Amino acid sequence: MPVGPFGIDPAIWAPLRLVIAVLLAVGLVFNGALAQIYLERKIQAIIQDRLGPLHTGPWGLLQTFADAIKLLGKEDIRARLTDKWFFLAAPSIVFSPMLASYVVIPFAPGIVGADLNVGLLYLTTLGSMTVLGIVIAGWASNNKYSLIGGLRSAGQLISYEVPQILSLVTVVLVVGTLSMVGIAESQPGWQLNVLVLPLAFVTYFIAGLAETNRAPFDLPEAESELVAGFLTEYSGMRWAIFFLAEYGEVTVVSSIVATLWFGAWHGPFVEVFPLLGVLWFTLKTYFFVLVFMWIRATLPRLRIDQLMSLCWKVLIPLTLTNLMVTAILLLVFPTTVVPVAIANWILLAFFVVALPYVQRRRLVALRERLRTAA
Amino acid sequence: MYDFIEPALFAALTIATIASGAGVVLANRITTSALLMAFTFLNVAAMFLLLGAETVAMFQVLIYVGAITVLILYGVMFTPQSPRPYGLFFQTQKWWAAVFVVPIAIFVALVSFTFKDSATVAPRGGDLLPLATSVFRDFAFPFEVASVLLLAAMVGAIVLVKRDEE
Repeated sequence: MPVGPFGIDPAIWAPLRLVIAVLLAVGLVFNGALAQIYLERKIQAIIQDRLGPLHTGPWGLLQTFADAIKLLGKEDIRARLTDKWFFLAAPSIVFSPMLASYVVIPFAPGIVGADLNVGLLYLTTLGSMTVLGIVIAGWASNNKYSLIGGLRSAGQLISYEVPQILSLVTVVLVVGTLSMVGIAESQPGWQLNVLVLPLAFVTYFIAGLAETNRAPFDLPEAESELVAGFLTEYSGMRWAIFFLAEYGEVTVVSSIVATLWFGAWHGPFVEVFPLLGVLWFTLKTYFFVLVFMWIRATLPRLRIDQLMSLCWKVLIPLTLTNLMVTAILLLVFPTTVVPVAIANWILLAFFVVALPYVQRRRLVALRERLRTAA
Repeated sequence: MYDFIEPALFAALTIATIASGAGVVLANRITTSALLMAFTFLNVAAMFLLLGAETVAMFQVLIYVGAITVLILYGVMFTPQSPRPYGLFFQTQKWWAAVFVVPIAIFVALVSFTFKDSATVAPRGGDLLPLATSVFRDFAFPFEVASVLLLAAMVGAIVLVKRDEE
């Protein structure tokens, strides 16, 4: 009889491993969401010169637990004119792809659910599946605001998938593998990909903000114009599942950024204690989670036409140019990435300098047109 | 000892694919059809996974579930959500459908029953490299032709729906 790890029969070990992995991922998502809600409140409070949660537990730490228990205890409401099965299914359709993403995230050397050799493709695939759930939630709610939220979400997520994938492809070109573990291993020490491909990082980060429906791209749930978009009819635990999915998605996008551009688990003393990699990886990931919150507290929400023109007129041409330049330079100089790095920094500088200039030109033109019309 | 698992999984996926595919045509409500279609695509992707073609499976989900189904739902969402008589286009043309489907079905059945397992086993390491070399090296020209065709179709679609500006 064959014996697998821990002396367990492999036929039992395989499903057992699956159960353990799913439970771990669920635990990570739930605890991560609790921590992130607390962090979000505190950070927004600090930025807005307030104190934030303070009274429940030390430094208000237990506030999110109290809120979670409140959500669990709420009555499960479904309006009569909503479409029953679609309404009930939508939260799980949003939640499960996010949960499945945790399979390929490399926490530390050897600590990864499965080292798929198409890991990055797998992540983008799952990221694109959440749209389905949001669109269904919007339609099934039988509510104009929800419907508009769902429509916006579909348009936004499909559009921003293009620059997102193009930025990822640029990294894959340089690294030469789609496996998340392979990408992590390719950047030991200080050879971080962000030094080589800063523009791909910036474009991916912007597209990632839009993919996760975070401010300033949270148009599908814009509370000031759409009540809460596709979330309007949801309450209690179903609403909470949407939010868990959103925070989980933010964590996944942050960990993709940490893995692709910031060396995943690499940090001091990882060679000696491989488990230390989990700490470095978590710190890097949560740094980007904090940046997400910082941006949310800082920037106002875009209009839908601004959102679309940013994607189609700025990000897609830029990422396409970046991809082409990177591919050509890698073909011309197959042994070194220095030319790619130089080109990328130049393109980034161009992006940073040109964007405000173009905006100002457009504003001037708009004012001119208004004046002639008046 | 556990060799029966893979054929059993494959059989389950086949049945699920056919059943949900039939459901797409037979369902009364177009949203149900769209969701069942997504389910069909997922089953097909799972079959690709079982066959060791994981890249094809990923693209199957990325494009068909993540984009095509969403676009269809996008269109469907403009239909009001109220009970009304459904006269779907393809549900009134059973006999015509049979006329077109039967020859194809016979052909597919013939091919699938004469299919022989090729002796060459795909090397380990996934289908990423074989797929990439076949698309971008061996069949680069047909690939480019197909992409030009798609581009032309896209330009044509934009021209068709574009309003005349006064």
